[in-house]
Amino acid sequence: MGIVKGDQMVLNIGPQHPSTHGVLRLKVVTDGEIVSDIEPIIGYLHRCFEKHCENSTYEQVIPFTDRCDYIASMNNNFGYVVAMEKLMEIKVPDRVEYIRIIMAELNRIASHLLALGVYGLDVGAFTPFLYMFRDRERILDIFELTCGARLLYNYMWVGGVSHDLPVGFVETVYGFLDYFEPKLKEYNEILTYNKIFIERTADVGVLPPEVAISYGVSGPNLRGSGVKWDLRKDEPYSIYERFDFDVPVGEGTVGTTGDCWDRFYVRMLEMTESAKILRQALKDLPQDGDVHQAIPKKIRPPKGSIYQRTESPRGDLAYYIISDGTPQPYRLKMRSPAFTALSVLNEISRGWMLSDVIAILGSLDIVLGEIDR
Amino acid sequence: MGVFENKFQDNVVVASLDKLLGWARSTSPWFFQFGLACCAIEMMATAASRHDLMRIGMIPRSSPRQADVMIVAGTVTLKMALRVKKLYEQMANPKYVISMGSCATSGGPYWQHGYHVLKGVDLVVPVDVYVPGCPPRPEALIEGLLKLQEKIQSERPLTRKTA
Amino acid sequence: MTDNLEQLIKEAVEKALEGDMDAVNNIEDRVTRSKAKAALVKAKREAAKEETEANPDENSNDSSDSKQDKTTNEHIAELLIQQFPGDINKELSSQEHIQIQSKKWLVISTFLRDDPSCLFDSLQCITGVDLGEESDLEVRYNLHSMTHRHAVEIRISCPRNKAKVPSVESIWRIGDWFERETYDMYGIEFEGHRDLKRILLPEDWEGWPLRKDYEVQETYHGIVVQKVKEGWE
Repeated sequence: MGIVKGDQMVLNIGPQHPSTHGVLRLKVVTDGEIVSDIEPIIGYLHRCFEKHCENSTYEQVIPFTDRCDYIASMNNNFGYVVAMEKLMEIKVPDRVEYIRIIMAELNRIASHLLALGVYGLDVGAFTPFLYMFRDRERILDIFELTCGARLLYNYMWVGGVSHDLPVGFVETVYGFLDYFEPKLKEYNEILTYNKIFIERTADVGVLPPEVAISYGVSGPNLRGSGVKWDLRKDEPYSIYERFDFDVPVGEGTVGTTGDCWDRFYVRMLEMTESAKILRQALKDLPQDGDVHQAIPKKIRPPKGSIYQRTESPRGDLAYYIISDGTPQPYRLKMRSPAFTALSVLNEISRGWMLSDVIAILGSLDIVLGEIDR
Repeated sequence: MGVFENKFQDNVVVASLDKLLGWARSTSPWFFQFGLACCAIEMMATAASRHDLMRIGMIPRSSPRQADVMIVAGTVTLKMALRVKKLYEQMANPKYVISMGSCATSGGPYWQHGYHVLKGVDLVVPVDVYVPGCPPRPEALIEGLLKLQEKIQSERPLTRKTA
Repeated sequence: MTDNLEQLIKEAVEKALEGDMDAVNNIEDRVTRSKAKAALVKAKREAAKEETEANPDENSNDSSDSKQDKTTNEHIAELLIQQFPGDINKELSSQEHIQIQSKKWLVISTFLRDDPSCLFDSLQCITGVDLGEESDLEVRYNLHSMTHRHAVEIRISCPRNKAKVPSVESIWRIGDWFERETYDMYGIEFEGHRDLKRILLPEDWEGWPLRKDYEVQETYHGIVVQKVKEGWE
């Protein structure tokens, strides 16, 4: 932290605070109202995920991965099973691939809805939070229809998925998409182009692209700074190359490129792109195929290691798995995107006022479960 | 008002003081939002538009001084346990604690090898209602809150407690 | 009758070769089932023989196309050996990783970031590994280049008692937090790091949790750490 000068004040934004990102502690050194240094202190949610993985079998790891990034748990599962299938060289049937993509994109929309709604709450707008949660509940209904759980699914297994799609699933999702796409216009009217929101977020917390790459920032945070990098397009995994969608980047529409408004708007546009992917996937979904067909009876991968990256709603989620031939992983490391996003907070908040720090923190969209694991 | 319906006529209210106080204290508990992990998302969903917590009289307050109930939602780690205790002590009497989710009840899925996980928040604060689930559905949390209301209703704050 | 049985056995063997043993195991008649299993063993043996016959052809192709079949790790390994002879451990490196001796890691990582044919501008992940009860600890770096779109993995090992590795936080800024986490979990000290302290566990925690020989402490500030199973049956 260094030596605090005489006229500076050390303020503690404690682990419990009304901003809903989780248990994060910020030690802020301020000069009056202007921030000169921030030190994020994490570890209040360290739940020993990696130690549990070393003592459980490969199948038992999947519910633990759910609970790391609890807002987008389908994407966490997806990253893990893609890594395991590459390590064990299993080929899954087409129907399973399409089902996985549908679930992952639905969860991406749900995660962005929560991130944006809670961001509005941080900045002071209560109504968008209620609207976005109303729409998020409809997605959670779809998940409950499929696998019985609302938040933590344990849905994607190595080699397949746990439950096949129920009767009426395709119609339900089409109904949701028809209801949802006009809502994005409504959200733009209440929040995105709202003058007060623009005053609070435009030009605030600018993240230059070189700093972002050096800090390992990825996902919507990196795209908000103008770098067109999306793992679904640049290093495709699963069957993402069959789909046609754009990658929105921040262009500094109402302020500087890379400010909080850009990161917010990129997430808003990504929801439209996910809806596009969903429509294409539902149209091409193969009707027959057994989702349990390729699931191995016993998971015993060959000796070796693998590092596999996938695109979660927060950025570049990667698993580094070392296997020694036994049914339990020897070492499993999860590289979480929110860890890197939080580390850049110090760099981009210097010189801003205390309430701007809350706006910047909200725009980075962190989840403490993923950071602390 | 279930206790008093259809019992009286003509503007006369007769009730035992305990029941009156219990009705007043139990029907509007303000909760201290102590969301730690995944259960916090379900707590937010309970307070949002579909399962509305405000119709049972609960509002989220961020300061411990203004709250009656502390809902510990999520895994409590050892690093956080000392802060939980401190915040509980800052709340004003009468105060109650609801332990939401299996992590707060007994350590949850992390009980076996979690060296940094507190195996149940009742090791540091006294708990009144336990709500099981991982995470519990919003309806389950509402049932837990209604049970807490029943518990508060049945308290007798005026009698001297024999030690 | 026999035709049908043979057809059944043939289909079951084909399915089993693709990995689905249920087709063979579900045949009700014991005699037919044993015949199917024998046919499966024969088919597997023949398939293995075909592979070894095909292999000599592939080997000769390999030596002429060897340049194209090399992975990125091997390309970069050769580049590094030219620049820094003696620091790269060629026997332990493989197609998937490069093994480096730790003294000149700072210079090598600057080269990896700045050299025009490498341009590894993003450090993706630092993983600490405990290689076993009696052996060393290892630190593995995954690097990625946004311009050239290639990735390498670098491994550096250090002895258990004197675990010291040069820090790269001045080169890739994310190294700061990744190294603090590896220090927290394994006790590996990164020399040159400006503020190496624990990041996930409390400051006064004892021990390095992810090491294989870790023993959990009994209490922490008066709170019992392990789950107490009194009252269980």
